[in-house]
Amino acid sequence: MSRKLLINIISIVVLAAIIITLPMALNNVYWTSILVIMGVNVLLVSSLRTIKLLGHISLGHVGFSLIGAYGSALLVMKLGFSFWIAIFLGGLMAAVVALALAYPFLKVKGIYFALLTLLTAETFRLIVRYWPGLTGGFWGLLQIPSPDPITIPLIGTINFANVNNYYYLTAVIVALSLLVLYRLERSHLGFKWIAIQDTEVLAQSVGINVKWHKMLNFAIACFFAGLAGALYAHYQHSLSPDATSRFGVLMSIYLVVYMVVGGESKFAGPIIGTVVLTVISEFGRALGEYQPMMIGGIAIFVMLLMPEGLIGLPKRVKLVYRKLLNQTKRVRRS
Amino acid sequence: MDLPVQVWVQAIANGLALGWLYVLMALGLTLILSIMGILQLAHGEVYMIGAYVTYYCCVSFGVNLYASMFISMAIMAGFGFLMERFLFRPVRAEILPPIVISLGLTLILMSSAVVGFGLYERSIPRLAQGSFVFLGSAVPKDRIIAVGFAVGLLLLVYLFLKRSKYGQAMVASAQSREGAILRGISPNMMSSMAMAIGCALAAAGGTLAGSILMLTPSMGTLPLVKGLVIIVLGGMGSLLGAAVGGIFLGLVDGIVPVAFSPGLTSVAPLVVVILILLARPQGLFGHE
Repeated sequence: MSRKLLINIISIVVLAAIIITLPMALNNVYWTSILVIMGVNVLLVSSLRTIKLLGHISLGHVGFSLIGAYGSALLVMKLGFSFWIAIFLGGLMAAVVALALAYPFLKVKGIYFALLTLLTAETFRLIVRYWPGLTGGFWGLLQIPSPDPITIPLIGTINFANVNNYYYLTAVIVALSLLVLYRLERSHLGFKWIAIQDTEVLAQSVGINVKWHKMLNFAIACFFAGLAGALYAHYQHSLSPDATSRFGVLMSIYLVVYMVVGGESKFAGPIIGTVVLTVISEFGRALGEYQPMMIGGIAIFVMLLMPEGLIGLPKRVKLVYRKLLNQTKRVRRS
Repeated sequence: MDLPVQVWVQAIANGLALGWLYVLMALGLTLILSIMGILQLAHGEVYMIGAYVTYYCCVSFGVNLYASMFISMAIMAGFGFLMERFLFRPVRAEILPPIVISLGLTLILMSSAVVGFGLYERSIPRLAQGSFVFLGSAVPKDRIIAVGFAVGLLLLVYLFLKRSKYGQAMVASAQSREGAILRGISPNMMSSMAMAIGCALAAAGGTLAGSILMLTPSMGTLPLVKGLVIIVLGGMGSLLGAAVGGIFLGLVDGIVPVAFSPGLTSVAPLVVVILILLARPQGLFGHE
């Protein structure tokens, strides 16, 4: 047990060191900005997995991320809120909307739920598109301010208009959010969610309020989607409701593909999937129009040939290795 | 409302034409959903590629427009058959994998369309020139022909499902897989057939849309979303529900932007869907 703990601590320290030194090692604004977007995506995909814990597949996560993004940006721009409050209020708005929609939505299951969430995201996008008075409509919301600089004693003033500093901010917020999601999953609440996913009727019969837990799960996941959206908004300084933007159907597709390619059975799966596919698609940028084809091909390949995703790969390798080992032993005996 | 009658007639005619295009989309989706239990999210792309196949047959090879529509339907049916056999059959029993595969397929087909057909807008030649005069306003002939085609296809599918041996076998395998096997029906074959018919319908819808509206690689997304709304509205597996839901949505799309504002058009379907789910979770015409 203590050895396992030691390995965990060492791997966390190494991971943290990599995350901290990465922008300095890359020393390139383009790559750092890719890392920021990747951090936002990691949070989105991990919270998507939280919904999957209940067996639901949401194709509308970008819709709630849109609420967080526009909500936070508008609070800062129109009402003069501070960034540090606005991003959480943005997440909260997404959570409240999710809680209200969860009641009718959770009457249905499986495919129907996926379908409804897809429609919801599209509807949110179109509302923003046709409400120019508030959201800038078709032209999008421009000139969203960066977070206010903060002053920490000994370190000095940190200005978040700098990409590297925003990267560290994203890293901290995403890491804390992931910690919360991880602890939630291992808490009493998380066990109840898993119980509901396994057998709903049995969970109900032992006194779990199924409906409430489902709604809570959806709201929590959407809170983090909203938070991710807000982080994106203040980084990008502009938001667009276009179908090809971050809030279109295509992005929903990418999120699900990230989750599944990584493997949704383990907490680390979606994170690994997002990182691996982001790196692959960045190196595939030279392919131009062929790039989405490659991601689509990877998704189909993973689904047909290794349904557990990348996270199941070590286990598979081990199995194959053992088989080979047994065969050689047999050969030796004979 | 103080709009002249002509505007109303125009709006309703446009709405009906759009509505029937959505019906063709929803019909294919609902067939695939009820018989295979799969949410085919790449159906919009099948619709788009069907339209392009018609375009190339008609414009590049000079085949008659109606003949090229049937060629396109046949090709897409074949494509659907292959898709079912090699992509969807291996993962039939689950929920997530078929969705992901159809999403991957969407990415692949859409980007191949961008690569192969280019991003610029084109359109298939009109189905007919000229227009009828109705209540003092002109209704283009091609819309009426498009509606006629769509109604005809809906009736054909209805007769196929109700009257023919294969149609009945398909309904049986949707109701109970095991029961169908006991009666000597192969559910796999029925799935292939449902996918082929669904894709042919999508190709027909795409062709009609391509001649009334425009051809672009992203033309399938909106009808797909509409088709999904219709499925929820009408209830899964109900042909009548698909028809009524499609016409309703089409009329909303045609009338509301004229009478109220375009923004309302986008919100109305979701609100209606939520209200219906609250009152009748199985959809308007659905049954348990």
